Amino acid sequence: MNNLWQYRVRNLFSATIIALSFLIVGVFFSLSNNLQFLASQLAENMVVAFFLNPGISAREQARIEEAVKASPGVAHVNFVSREEALARFQKSFPELEDILKNLGSNPFPASYEAVLQKKVFLSEEALGLIEGIKALPGVEDVQFNRDWVKKMQSLSRLARAIGFFLGGILILASFFIISNVIRLNVFARKNEIEILRLVGATNTFIRLPFLLEGLTLGVLGSALSLALLYILIKLFPLYLGQSLGVLQEFINLRYLSLSQCIGLVIGSALMGLLGSLSSLSRFLKI
Amino acid sequence: MPASSRSSGLGATFENIVMIELYHISKQYQEGQWALLDINLHIKKGEFWFITGPSGSGKTTLLKIIFREILPTRGQIVIDGINILRLPDHKIWKLRRSMGIVFQDFRLLFHKKVFDNVAIGLYVLGIPVKEIRRRVFNALRLVNLHQKMWEYPSHLSYGEQQRVAIARAVVNEPQILLADEPTGNLDPELAFEIISVFKEINRQGKTVLICSHDKELIRHFGDKILFLFKGKIIGKEVQPFSRK
Ligand SMILES: Nc1ncnc2c1ncn2[C@@H]1O[C@H](COP(=O)(O)OP(=O)(O)OP(=O)(O)O)[C@@H](O)[C@H]1O
Ligand SMILES: [Mg+2]
Repeated sequence: MNNLWQYRVRNLFSATIIALSFLIVGVFFSLSNNLQFLASQLAENMVVAFFLNPGISAREQARIEEAVKASPGVAHVNFVSREEALARFQKSFPELEDILKNLGSNPFPASYEAVLQKKVFLSEEALGLIEGIKALPGVEDVQFNRDWVKKMQSLSRLARAIGFFLGGILILASFFIISNVIRLNVFARKNEIEILRLVGATNTFIRLPFLLEGLTLGVLGSALSLALLYILIKLFPLYLGQSLGVLQEFINLRYLSLSQCIGLVIGSALMGLLGSLSSLSRFLKI
Repeated sequence: MPASSRSSGLGATFENIVMIELYHISKQYQEGQWALLDINLHIKKGEFWFITGPSGSGKTTLLKIIFREILPTRGQIVIDGINILRLPDHKIWKLRRSMGIVFQDFRLLFHKKVFDNVAIGLYVLGIPVKEIRRRVFNALRLVNLHQKMWEYPSHLSYGEQQRVAIARAVVNEPQILLADEPTGNLDPELAFEIISVFKEINRQGKTVLICSHDKELIRHFGDKILFLFKGKIIGKEVQPFSRK
């Protein structure tokens, strides 16, 4: 173990490289977590809004309302009048009051908001439902964030896949880094190993310190990467400033979950052990 | 297998317990050059042997074969009843723990203090730290070097380094003590003292083999002497009663 200290520069260097490798993996996982979170937030808000023609007849409107209410998978329907829509907008964007005043008239159409059951919302069934109602006379437009949710989910999967891919490569790289460090340490201690053999040290006695070194390097590297990731996540929004508004959500990276952290540490500890084992089996002939 | 009787345990007389048996040992480093040729030798437990001969006669080679640093080209070697050539590599540590070795080139670790150099054979045995301190101190006092315990070997004279090597060899009270020119760099007075230390260890029933050129020393201490010349035994001198 004191070997780890003795060659601290070399070991620190390799621990840093390992940390950076795992940091990149961590960033992608964090990104994926983030997109996943956004997708789930959007999915919470499973509303489909059917905007009505301003000149719609009462009969047409009644047919639309009936059709929406009768659709399977619709949990709840809500009518939003033009006045309500205006009031909502004014509440959300009070700073745009003047623009509205200048318009002179209410630009917002009335709408039916259908809250869908969650499992229906993300299924293909929802699309047919929406198309059917959209085809009814008097429906001007349909707005729903289903596509967004889907996009977010596939982006999240992509980020995770990149994370796994890069992770695989970088974990392999850290395996070779550690095995190389251990090889150098074995050579640096050649004389000592020889003496240990001559005074009757068992193989385990000679190998154990190197195995522990590999393990420590792996754990140290991943712990360092988690710390760096944390700092990165904390500093990134500060750097970009608070002016991003809605975009902030995308930039606000989320930290890894506990199980992801533990997985990362265990993975790199394993790499450390395997790295030094492979080195020992080649360079510390028994 | 030799017919000689073997027994261990307290109370047994050492006379007939064979410790080291060499049968037709030959060693060839290079084609056509025999460093050792057909060496036959039986060394009993508790004996004190000098191995002597001119430079290049094969003394170091013989010792290296006994502690299995090198393998003989031919022949068999039995130590304490075990054919060490049939000993698998991962069990050599058992053989090594029964031996203390003083190397001609010392083989000290220069980045470690004298204490750690001597203690290394005890660390390996998993002995408690307090006990290690006690034993290391005693071993260093035996070679009169206990006041340099916390120095680095590079700060010591050649002769002092040699004594560190001796302390390391005796610290775990091995059954067999092998010493290659242990007094090569010591003044005659100190050389006598060191060999007296070996004699003392020998008196406790340990088997001792010393390679030496020093005629004076051999004349004074040697009761069993092996003469090597060009890899062959050219003479054995065995005193019926050892001078003590
Ligand atoms: N590693 C080696 N490779 C090749 N030849 C060697 C090797 N070691 C020893 N020899 C040769 O074997 C012969 C015996 O060497 P050895 O070291 O056993 O002699 P020695 O009696 O110990 O000599 P000295 O008194 O100088 O220490 C010498 O001729 C030497 O050149
Ligand atoms: Mg020699």
